[in-house]
Amino acid sequence: MKSERSLVLETAVSLLYWLMLGAALLLLLRGHNAPGGGFIAALVAVAATAARALVSGTAAARARMPLGPLGLSAVGLALAAASGLPALFREQAFLTHWWGELAAGPLALKLSTVLLFDLGVALCVWGALGGFCVRLLEAMR
Amino acid sequence: MAQPTAQAAPAAAWIRLLWLLPLALLPAVASLPGEPATWSWSWVDALDVRLGFAADGLARLFLLLVCLVGTAVLAYAPGYLRGHARLGQLMVLLVAFMLAMAGAILADDLLLLLLFWEATSLLSFLLVGFGHDSQDSRDSARQALLVTGAGGLALLAGFVLIMIAAPGLRLSDLARLDPAVLADPRFQAGAALVLAGAMTKSAQFPFHFWLPGAMAAPTPVSAYLHSATMVNLGVYVMARFDEAMGAVPWWEGTLLSIGTLTALWGAVQAPRERDLKRILAWSTVSALGTLTVLIGLPNELGALAFTAFLLAHALYKAPLFFVAGNIDHATGTRRIDRLSGLRHAMPATALAALLAGVSMAGLPATVGFVAKDSIKAASELSEVMWAVEGVSLLVSTVGVAVASVAVLRIFFGSVEHPEGHAPHEGGVRLTLPPLALAGLGIVLGLFPSLAEPLVADAARMISPTLQRADAALEPQWLLRLESFAVVWAVGLVVYAGWNRLHRLLERMRFLDRAGPAAGFDAFLAGIKQVAGVLGRRLQTGRLSRYLGITAAATIALCAPWVFALRLPAPAPLGTDGAGVLLGCLVAALGAVLAVRARDTLQRLLGAGAVGAGSAMVFLFRGAPDLALTQLAVETVFVVVAAVALRRHRERRGGAGRRPARAWRAGVALAFGLLLGAALLALAGRPFDSAMSDYFLAHSVPQAHGHNVVNVILVDFRALDTLGEIAVVMLAALAAWPLARRLRTRKEKP
Repeated sequence: MKSERSLVLETAVSLLYWLMLGAALLLLLRGHNAPGGGFIAALVAVAATAARALVSGTAAARARMPLGPLGLSAVGLALAAASGLPALFREQAFLTHWWGELAAGPLALKLSTVLLFDLGVALCVWGALGGFCVRLLEAMR
Repeated sequence: MAQPTAQAAPAAAWIRLLWLLPLALLPAVASLPGEPATWSWSWVDALDVRLGFAADGLARLFLLLVCLVGTAVLAYAPGYLRGHARLGQLMVLLVAFMLAMAGAILADDLLLLLLFWEATSLLSFLLVGFGHDSQDSRDSARQALLVTGAGGLALLAGFVLIMIAAPGLRLSDLARLDPAVLADPRFQAGAALVLAGAMTKSAQFPFHFWLPGAMAAPTPVSAYLHSATMVNLGVYVMARFDEAMGAVPWWEGTLLSIGTLTALWGAVQAPRERDLKRILAWSTVSALGTLTVLIGLPNELGALAFTAFLLAHALYKAPLFFVAGNIDHATGTRRIDRLSGLRHAMPATALAALLAGVSMAGLPATVGFVAKDSIKAASELSEVMWAVEGVSLLVSTVGVAVASVAVLRIFFGSVEHPEGHAPHEGGVRLTLPPLALAGLGIVLGLFPSLAEPLVADAARMISPTLQRADAALEPQWLLRLESFAVVWAVGLVVYAGWNRLHRLLERMRFLDRAGPAAGFDAFLAGIKQVAGVLGRRLQTGRLSRYLGITAAATIALCAPWVFALRLPAPAPLGTDGAGVLLGCLVAALGAVLAVRARDTLQRLLGAGAVGAGSAMVFLFRGAPDLALTQLAVETVFVVVAAVALRRHRERRGGAGRRPARAWRAGVALAFGLLLGAALLALAGRPFDSAMSDYFLAHSVPQAHGHNVVNVILVDFRALDTLGEIAVVMLAALAAWPLARRLRTRKEKP
């Protein structure tokens, strides 16, 4: 793999990688009101990881996934599950979401456990599928 | 099996004292009412399943046997398996089995009975396979489980049918069953299935063969399960159903013929064996057949004879199993042609064998005699007397011979010890339990009035018309002396000619080849063969073949409905028409490229273009979320597949032979047309928009989101999503070690 490395491609992809992750974050945040959401964001992130693994090697792609792929996936799953817990305090059904508004002057920021849930979905799928891509590339090397 | 060692540490106190548990239960069981009494607690109300228990005279008799023999077995086992590393495990299993038996006998609800019934089957599997380091043991355990497990399924099906025919029926209701229900063919079919299940449990022909096979179990297990308790459970269920089903024409005839056949088969097979335990097992098969016949007898004396023989059989067969275990323990063999004259070395065991043997042979002043006498009285009343008479004559004769072998031949022949080592008694734990049980048989034989209430109350649950005067167990043995004398005399002649008979019967190999056991083995081997052939034909390891078979099978299955599909009239394209057409064009070009291209990577790009084309269609038809997802999935797929296929690029250049290509093209075309037509027909149907209307209306007010797809995913159906991402993670976890395998396989060559 090392001999096939291309400096141009590698530089371009390292830039593209962050661009794609940014796009994923954007898709995640706006998902509730416009096309996007946790799953789509995760797929974009997986594509970023796969591109990085192809160009810069699997170790580099792995290093860019905090906690390691499976750890990331597990944290995502835990986050998604945890987002349903607050409902239990209000004696509502599990995963009944809370909504709140953080008012700071003229800007009102809507916050909710939905975002937590979607973040969990994104992290879980990114970790699992991205990890799988990296793993497959390692095996195929 | 047992390997006693001198330095073996004494077993833990709870193991040594466990026998006190069933002993303590005995008075409680004895004080159960003879008349029916029920207890019931609610359990699964939605399914009308209750924790319903019922006790009556019949249950009391069976429970007494369970506790009585249970006490003996739990006292015996620590002595027999002294120093065995897994003795504690055996004791726990035995106690669990005892409780399961008690539950099955006391259960009033049908499903509750089934539950305990299956528990006894599973525990019996574990107990028979206790010595799981021997292949023989494992095979026997599996055979017993398969046969009784199949019987459990029959029982389940039967109970379901009965519950459909008579909702809410309890076992205690069987006594006063509505004639209309009884005439219901569903009820009768259910009862037939219940009978089939009971036959497997009680080792009735043709399901009997697991019982002699189960002799691979340690002696305490055989003495408990295979003489007095589990094998009687099937008979118990037959007896429970007899009161209701006695009025149905086929019931009694079936019981009589099955029982007769079983009794005969056991009597023929017993002299073919050399292993004392297997001889006893075959005589148990014979006895179980006799019990079935007695249930099938239409008169009330048959019921009395049934309960009396049940008691007598347990009281002599369990001690004889113990005796066989003691002999094995002391001499290391159970082969009767190697055993002789053990009375000096093992006086206490010899006495136990003698007491049990005289009862089995039906000599006067034993409980066996009382039972035989009541059988005689019942068969004299019967219209099918000749059959019952003849069979009971033959079976009793073989019984006398088997008892003589177990007592006279082994203990009272000339003194010669095999392999030169001196046999010895194994201690109080090994001698007292059989002595106690066999002694009880003599006491009840001397004073039959002691057993009378017990036996008569049980019989009245089967035949309510039984009068107390008829129930007298005092044998009028002078009346029937001559027929008894005939049995004893012929039995002794059989005993005298045992070796010759054995050689004669042993030569009749066709009995082994034609028997149900051989059929069962052939059946199991057949399953393996069919699976092997199917596996080799279907599991070739070629993905294209799997896909081809799946598609072809789908086409074949759906073909009958293809012509019933109603395709909608083509609708004019709207303003989005140009985009949709463009998407379709991209997809079609991609498909052509995927099929025509020589290079794997080009094919993959073609497949990717198909996905991108459908994403375009989604986009222009107003499903941007779907389009985004499709595009992202397609991209990741192409990248990953390109990496995976890189290795295959050189290897799979050719497109295969021409006929194969034509076949594949045909299947692919047909499959595509079928799916397309089905989708079109589906889309042409009126669309029920109740769900989508609900989500569109409630998305913003309830979930504060304008993207309905996302709102459904993360809010309305959040629990589903949680489960789905868990599956995604599990899939990655499962793929993790597979990838490692891929690497090692690659490195190996």
